[in-house]
Amino acid sequence: MSADFRTCPTTGLKVHAQADRLIKANAVVGVVALLIGGIAALLLLLTRWQVVHLLPADWFYRLLTVHGMNMLIFFILFFEMAILYFASAVLLNSRVAAPRLAWFSFWLMVAGALVVEWTMFTGRADVLFTSYVPLRATPWFYLGVILFAVGALLVVAIFFATLIVAKKERTYTGSIPLVTFGAATAAIIAVITLGHGAAIYIPTFLWSLGIGNVDAQIYRLVWWGLGHSSQQINVAAMVAVWYLLGALTVGSVVINEKISRIAFTLYVLFISMAAAHHLLVDPGLPPTWKVWNTSYAMYLAVLASMIHGFTVPAGIELGQRLRGYTKGLFEWLRRAPWGDPGFSALIFSIIIFGFVGGITGVTFGTEQINIIAHNTLRVPGHFHATVVAGTTLAFMGLTYYVIPLIFRKKVAFWPLARIQPYLFAAGMLIFSVAMTFAGTFGVPRRHYDISFAQAPFDFQFSPAVDLVMTAMAIGGLLAITGGAIYIAITVWSVFFGKPLEAEVKA
Amino acid sequence: MHTGIQSPQGVWWKPVRGGEKLWVGIAFAWCLVLFAMMPLWHLRGGQNPSGIRSKVDPQAFMARTQEFIRTYQVGTENGIPVVEPPPGSDIYLMGMMWSWQPVLRLRKGAQYTLHLSSFDVNHGFSLLPFNINFQVVPGYDYGLRITPTEAGDFRIVCNEFCGIGHHLMIGRVIVVDESEPAAAGASSGAAIGGGNL
Amino acid sequence: MAKEGLPPGIVNPPRPLPEKAGESPEEHRTPGTLVLVLVFLAAFVVYYFVNWKLLSFVWRVG
Repeated sequence: MSADFRTCPTTGLKVHAQADRLIKANAVVGVVALLIGGIAALLLLLTRWQVVHLLPADWFYRLLTVHGMNMLIFFILFFEMAILYFASAVLLNSRVAAPRLAWFSFWLMVAGALVVEWTMFTGRADVLFTSYVPLRATPWFYLGVILFAVGALLVVAIFFATLIVAKKERTYTGSIPLVTFGAATAAIIAVITLGHGAAIYIPTFLWSLGIGNVDAQIYRLVWWGLGHSSQQINVAAMVAVWYLLGALTVGSVVINEKISRIAFTLYVLFISMAAAHHLLVDPGLPPTWKVWNTSYAMYLAVLASMIHGFTVPAGIELGQRLRGYTKGLFEWLRRAPWGDPGFSALIFSIIIFGFVGGITGVTFGTEQINIIAHNTLRVPGHFHATVVAGTTLAFMGLTYYVIPLIFRKKVAFWPLARIQPYLFAAGMLIFSVAMTFAGTFGVPRRHYDISFAQAPFDFQFSPAVDLVMTAMAIGGLLAITGGAIYIAITVWSVFFGKPLEAEVKA
Repeated sequence: MHTGIQSPQGVWWKPVRGGEKLWVGIAFAWCLVLFAMMPLWHLRGGQNPSGIRSKVDPQAFMARTQEFIRTYQVGTENGIPVVEPPPGSDIYLMGMMWSWQPVLRLRKGAQYTLHLSSFDVNHGFSLLPFNINFQVVPGYDYGLRITPTEAGDFRIVCNEFCGIGHHLMIGRVIVVDESEPAAAGASSGAAIGGGNL
Repeated sequence: MAKEGLPPGIVNPPRPLPEKAGESPEEHRTPGTLVLVLVFLAAFVVYYFVNWKLLSFVWRVG
């Protein structure tokens, strides 16, 4: 058995060879999906920027579907599968339970993703990410999504099985680390999410074959049980990565295990139905339902994020203070390793997620305020701050540690890697704030032409809109440059990077 | 102390201290405010997405809309009928690929019950430049009591993707002053500029 | 110090702390973070109520 393990010279952790390989495979496929979604992002941006207005209408909507699926589903879930293997097998010094099933699940997810890509690029599924019934895609689209989801569900099962194996084989003492606990909550939310996914995609698949019917409002209700909860997987995984990056970069401490773990648990308990805030101005649901399911009277999931928003920086602060950075209020922050892309990505992720994504999200998710936000650019402004500047940036920061720790390679183009988080964060900040502003003027999301050139009635937005849309384009181009640098670094390091010195086998 | 990647040893269920305790308290109090504002606005506020909600067959809604158009039509514009319903009445607006039927001529300060539904797929009602948005779902009638508070020439943009012609789907609402005579006919107004918000 | 191609957290990992460190009330202090989260809360409160104000300007609907 021991030949299957190596000991990490940096962390002292015992790493199972299968965990190594599974993490690599999932991360690589995730980055490929990011590349596809990123190219789509560039073309979409250059279309919505009316000065260029690059694509024809059909390809705009087609690539919008491609962008959504690749970024929100394929990239992020493949990356999260890698995190699940890392947080279970690696952090607990354990072997991966059922490695053959793990590889089967991986290939199932790849197959599902490929089927979906094929249907989208051939114009068989121009239904956007949400695929609201009765818009109809080819049955293969829904089938591809189902295959992918089944694969992801199996990986989640292997994650839990690995936790059990580690416990039984006593590969660690005490309780599981906080990062593993956070990943476990992400995994539990993934089960809830994929349950909703099955509940809606299976009937929709049958409907696309002509069997049965799917009510348009019920579809929206159940679909958002998938669509929103899946973002909550991202939040839980991102917060786990915050604690992880804090530990790796500055040795941040856990201020209070109890509070941090309760906060993670609140995500599980109070988020699944909070999909309600996508339905606040829908005709099928009464106001009592809307108010209750947005908040459960206490907004405990928001409370959870506000707690992590304190405990993560406080853990960094206390860790730094205990290592001697005690002067004034902010020496701990000033003297932090700002040249470490893992650290700068962590800080920008927290700030933009909280200040832009968090505040706008809770505000737009208020029943009445949603009237002036629903389906405007305010909504993608919000979620690009959470899922791109928040989750994706945190994952990028983690990558600079995964390359040496798991791939055993040096990070290529190191000077570029040091500035990459700055570039990406600045771009996403400008982009998401500008988008949110444009939405305040009522600019619709998912819209090909806001000059309404060919429409039966004319409409001219306030001249201020031209200005903010230009700012959005500049921010977007900056962020895409940052994203391209990230992909170049990752691909070059993994395939052509200098290997680290050989190490002792365990 | 230990980091988040180390296994805590022994009992970690310890009391919360200092700044963290204070922050959890403040954050929780704020969360209660966030909740309280919603019921409060139902009692005191003028903008709520409650409405009169019912299921409706798309064909039946189409029939109702056509009946409504027949009764109150005052003109036609770009092939779309223009209607001027009396203040206080039930008015119908149907989204279909890719137009809003009909053009509405309303009176400032009067209340109407605006019935929104779709003939085919989901659409998004977005009244510009006010930025008032509602989801329009086939099979559901969303009856919203609205009171135009300003005269002017407004647009309804579709802001839910509804197929390849989505961005061509734009409708019109004209609000006239209380004093203006009825059934003046729809004049084609110039583009309106400026956001109100 | 930072070897080319390796993050500082790997070349020069943060010094591990004894389990007892930071437990005493004098040591267990995070005043900087408290200031930062209060700034966050202020931004939140302002943005939230500005949006209620914006909402109150549109047509009456119910």
